[in-house]
Amino acid sequence: MTTPETSEPHDERVPVTVLTGFLGSGKTTLLNRILTENHGMKIAVIENEFGEVGIDDALVLDAEEEIFEMNNGCICCTVRGDLIRILGALMRRREKFDHILIETTGLADPAPVAQTFFMDDEIASQLRLDAIVTLVDAAHVLQHLDEVKPEGVENEAVEQIAFADRIVLNKTDLAAAATLAEVEARVRSINAPVQILRAQHARVDLQQVLDVGAFDLERVLADDPAFLTETEHQHDTTVTSVGIELTGELDEDRLNAWLGNLLRTKGVDIFRSKGILAIAGAPQQYVFQGVHMLLDGEFGRQWREGEPRSNKLVFIGRNLDRAALERGFADCLATAGAVA
Amino acid sequence: MSTTIQSPETPLAWNIAVDDAPVALSARGDLVAVAGAEGSVRVLDAASGATVGAVDLPGGALSVHLAPDAGALAVTGPMGYALWRRSDGRRTSKLTSAWSASAAWADGQRLAVASGRRALVLDADGEELWRTEPAASTVTDLAWMRQGRRLAVAAYGAVRCHERHTEKPVATYPYVGSHLALAVAPTGKWICSGNQDASIHIWRARDASELTMSGYPEKVSRLAFDDSGFWLAADGAPDVTVWDFSGKGPAGTAPRSLRRHETVTALAWRPGAAGHLASGGDDGTVALWHATSGRPRQLLRPVRELAGGGAPVAALAWAGPHLLTVAWRDGRIRTYGAPSRTTV
Repeated sequence: MTTPETSEPHDERVPVTVLTGFLGSGKTTLLNRILTENHGMKIAVIENEFGEVGIDDALVLDAEEEIFEMNNGCICCTVRGDLIRILGALMRRREKFDHILIETTGLADPAPVAQTFFMDDEIASQLRLDAIVTLVDAAHVLQHLDEVKPEGVENEAVEQIAFADRIVLNKTDLAAAATLAEVEARVRSINAPVQILRAQHARVDLQQVLDVGAFDLERVLADDPAFLTETEHQHDTTVTSVGIELTGELDEDRLNAWLGNLLRTKGVDIFRSKGILAIAGAPQQYVFQGVHMLLDGEFGRQWREGEPRSNKLVFIGRNLDRAALERGFADCLATAGAVA
Repeated sequence: MSTTIQSPETPLAWNIAVDDAPVALSARGDLVAVAGAEGSVRVLDAASGATVGAVDLPGGALSVHLAPDAGALAVTGPMGYALWRRSDGRRTSKLTSAWSASAAWADGQRLAVASGRRALVLDADGEELWRTEPAASTVTDLAWMRQGRRLAVAAYGAVRCHERHTEKPVATYPYVGSHLALAVAPTGKWICSGNQDASIHIWRARDASELTMSGYPEKVSRLAFDDSGFWLAADGAPDVTVWDFSGKGPAGTAPRSLRRHETVTALAWRPGAAGHLASGGDDGTVALWHATSGRPRQLLRPVRELAGGGAPVAALAWAGPHLLTVAWRDGRIRTYGAPSRTTV
């Protein structure tokens, strides 16, 4: 819990990248690019969408998406049975893979995919989710985002953007500059901290998509310059980001109570959350990240000499009440006194 | 109370190494078979370790099953399944591209094979006799009931029982969750599933009345009844739990806990009704237990441990009551002699 960052052991687990995006957004092109690039890695690919991929030195496995709920009906316990099965079998092979890629269908909900890596101990002990990379077709994404779904049905394009750690804004050669600007603004209005990579023919720096460490607490927010980017809410989107920055130290008990209650009652609507917090009495930063109700947190680096104790956190989700979140968080300040 | 006796050493009958990381063992009659993750299967003489036959399943292996009379073998994997016949060494592979999680022999003549969301019932030559309708998801495990007349099939959301005359199930035992392992008591009274949600779900076969044993720290992916059908061993925790199914069953009772491993990776009851169990762990340890001694809620210690260590135990199988075969993930296959029926 209080291990200094310098003695942190190297994570030996095999990184897994999840590629999402609508049909036609360029997932298969990116996959082929990753597999044919001369990086010397041994890669296994799990495809939910039957593609044309077939490359020597890569093991390609096809699977049909199987979403499993658990008896308690909790959304965070929804996992992907097909992935548990296939990843389990992959880990038993003697040959070791350097990286695993999962290509989901254009209609896949990213939450059960991500949750699989936290809910299944066998998988969590041997594999780590590196990042969710969402490909977006610059010319057509606005149309998908605007699509009106029947009551209770998710707009998958919105979800895939909300869950993403990286957005590859692809096919920029096929969209006008004004459209690109609008798409970026739209993406940011859903997912403010996400890093957007513009690309043509899915040509991106692979380091930017294969070694992200988005779920690595050591790296949470470290490379997110846009973490707290304020966005104009020019679109009436129900899925948005709320970033909060607050100076001061937090009362640990009140923080735990607030965050616990928030995720218990609103976790269904909060897709992703991350934060770096200053806990009163702790010499180290507290870092956390979460997917729906699943939260993973630990103490990170030491606060530096003279560094102001400040807190940053971001929620990405549906129907977020910014004022209530800001108020609830401010009440966790140690100086807030005995606020009920 | 049992005490740990380290000596005399359990005699090593034979010791070989295979290249393909072992994932499963099966022992019947005078044979033991080992399947590797890449799909290579070796059939060995249980007493000497000499190779009797071999079969390869392209795409890898998940489980291996010798027929009760040791006259044939089935191996299943992510891409399909394959059969081997002892009399002439004939090999048949069916690459269906469907995930075959497991298989179960009804007798020496018939076996059921999981194939994607269905179960196929084949004759010993691999000819299909009948098949079930698709389940809600990929079939995870199979077991025969009623002397091979009824087939229990586990998949997401339910255990379904099928008989020859209809594609549709003749009985359905629903439970919201992913069933990873299926065990049917040899008495036919109980159907149990080990689940992704870290529980064991139990149905009384007669009236489908239910019981859930929850609170396991991890998913329950290994379940096994002993020959009497009175005892069920399960993983899902550092301790192996052993539930008493005699009389009215385990409702309201507590299990015995067998403590030796950090993570349990294999379980195998010794043939017979003496309550002897072998277990293996991911630290390579193999322990032998009087698993039914003591009282409920009691923490038991192994009666004996086999020299192990290193790579995780991949599988355990008893070739009759006197030979225990252990496969480790690093390719070591060892068979130990257990001379007496009454002591381990």
